[in-house]
Amino acid sequence: MQRILVAGDTILHTPASKLIIEAMGYQIITSSRLQDAVSLILEDPPDLLITEKGFAGGGHDLDLITAAKACLQKANIPILLALNDSELSGVDWDLFPVDDFMIKPVLPEVLLARIELAQSRLIRVFDNNPLSRLPGNTSILRAIQKTIDSEEPHGVCYIDIDNFKPYNDRYGFSRGDEVLLMVARLTVNVVEENARNGSFVGHVGGDDFVFIVREEHIDTVCQRLIANFERVKNMFLSPEDIAAGCFIGEDRQGNRTEFELLSLSVAVVTTAGNKYKHYGEISATASQIKHYTKSLPGSNYVIDRRNP
Amino acid sequence: METDKKEYFRKTLREIKNLPTLPGIVTKLTKMAEDPDTTTEQMGKVISKDHILAAKLLRLVNSAFYGFPQRISSLNSAIILLGFNVIKSLIISASIFEIMEDQDVELWEHSLGCAVVCSVVAKRLGLSDPEEISTAGLIHDIGKVAIKMELPQEYEEINRMVQEEHVSRFTAERKILGLDHAEVGGWLAKRWNLPNKLIEPISCHHDPRLAKNEQLSSAVVHFGNIVIRGMGYCHGDDIWVPPMSQRAYRLLDLSAVDIDEILDEIEDKLWDVKGFSLEIQSEQNAASGEDCPP
Repeated sequence: MQRILVAGDTILHTPASKLIIEAMGYQIITSSRLQDAVSLILEDPPDLLITEKGFAGGGHDLDLITAAKACLQKANIPILLALNDSELSGVDWDLFPVDDFMIKPVLPEVLLARIELAQSRLIRVFDNNPLSRLPGNTSILRAIQKTIDSEEPHGVCYIDIDNFKPYNDRYGFSRGDEVLLMVARLTVNVVEENARNGSFVGHVGGDDFVFIVREEHIDTVCQRLIANFERVKNMFLSPEDIAAGCFIGEDRQGNRTEFELLSLSVAVVTTAGNKYKHYGEISATASQIKHYTKSLPGSNYVIDRRNP
Repeated sequence: METDKKEYFRKTLREIKNLPTLPGIVTKLTKMAEDPDTTTEQMGKVISKDHILAAKLLRLVNSAFYGFPQRISSLNSAIILLGFNVIKSLIISASIFEIMEDQDVELWEHSLGCAVVCSVVAKRLGLSDPEEISTAGLIHDIGKVAIKMELPQEYEEINRMVQEEHVSRFTAERKILGLDHAEVGGWLAKRWNLPNKLIEPISCHHDPRLAKNEQLSSAVVHFGNIVIRGMGYCHGDDIWVPPMSQRAYRLLDLSAVDIDEILDEIEDKLWDVKGFSLEIQSEQNAASGEDCPP
């Protein structure tokens, strides 16, 4: 962690605070205007954000925090909020998705310790996928178990990119990584925009992703995801392959085969009726329908509503 | 021209951070962003009518941080990839002209008009990605805004020379800066990691012969720029219509019938553009209090 954005005038209350932090090897960027701070977060994101309650006038503290969370949703950049003790009782922490808080005036030693704590906590909870920065397997299993235990019916949705391996062979790994990032972003955006409450997005690894949404949102999210994928995918294909509508590559046995262009398969298992007790049962059902979904041409989603 | 001076202009223009846009657009988008029923697509539609925000959007999605450098040429794809919250931040961080001049509105309408022509022509020619060419048409004059913002004194000199010596803006820019807005726009696009498919049509829109890989789309943008000016729709603060490259014209291979039909189609679509422009200007006046009843 090197660059810290300090958005607000009263966090570094003495020049000494800044010096002490900088002496520890951190670079501090200060900003007191909302527009500048958001601009920086968008264009040149810092490694940590410290802001204060009431930044740049009423309500704008939240604008900034939302901007940081949105932009950095996959990078997990810690956000620290400074506030007066009188403001503490009125804060709705669901509304303020920050990682830690500090009471003003903030002593430089306290500030430094908070920064270091934020950093070490970031490493501790890091089961995130290094490419997409989405939560990895430990978090996914926990999220699925939580879904099973909850009363409300949810859909556990497994995404798989069809023909990803031959795409990688043809276009190279770095282009393959772009496609993975693309699917990660599309999924996060669609879930966030259509089914924010009680949802989850994770990256199992490779071209496998999982998202969980409430049952009533399954169709909308799957349809939007597929429609968006179909709109964006041409950016990741060569004009020749788009014109041909397919590409030639080798299958797993080394035979020359014609492959369809990239598509998405989503296999959905619902928890309606409390039929599952363990996440293993869900992934077993998922792999059955995944097999079927992948056998269909193009992008598809299939919902399993059977009783096990 | 002394090389020192030219070098100084280059350096200043390259370091530009934030280009301002019309306050009316930002007011409209801010209102939309606050309304929970607004969809990402609806905001995307408005952003893709503004050359500055469109360029900003492409710059963002093609930045190394998002992981798609030089890949995304479509505004719709950019919007889908960035998502509602990032688009909202983009609007919060947008800067606006502190003093609005007629020239700014002219250039904005010219850019939008050029995008319309490019889209109509690209569809008529059956090109594979009309949206991409229309986007190139939308942001083709981005260099003009950069010159205005970063070199205000020289910008005034250019204006004066255009008026007094009856030369094109392009010629005046070359005389005063040793650079022109097409070249400047091309650099900016390159610096912002935009795909080459957008860079060449911008940097070659006054001389499509310079295009190496994107000859056809450069020819379309060249044609679009001249046609929209020739139609007297809006001049983009350049009152003389530049000459059409014969080669570009031949490359497009449009018949007289094609041209007639294209012009009709453009006329129709320009009504929508004009309507949108009036809406934005009234938004602007309302925001600055000019439209308030006494």
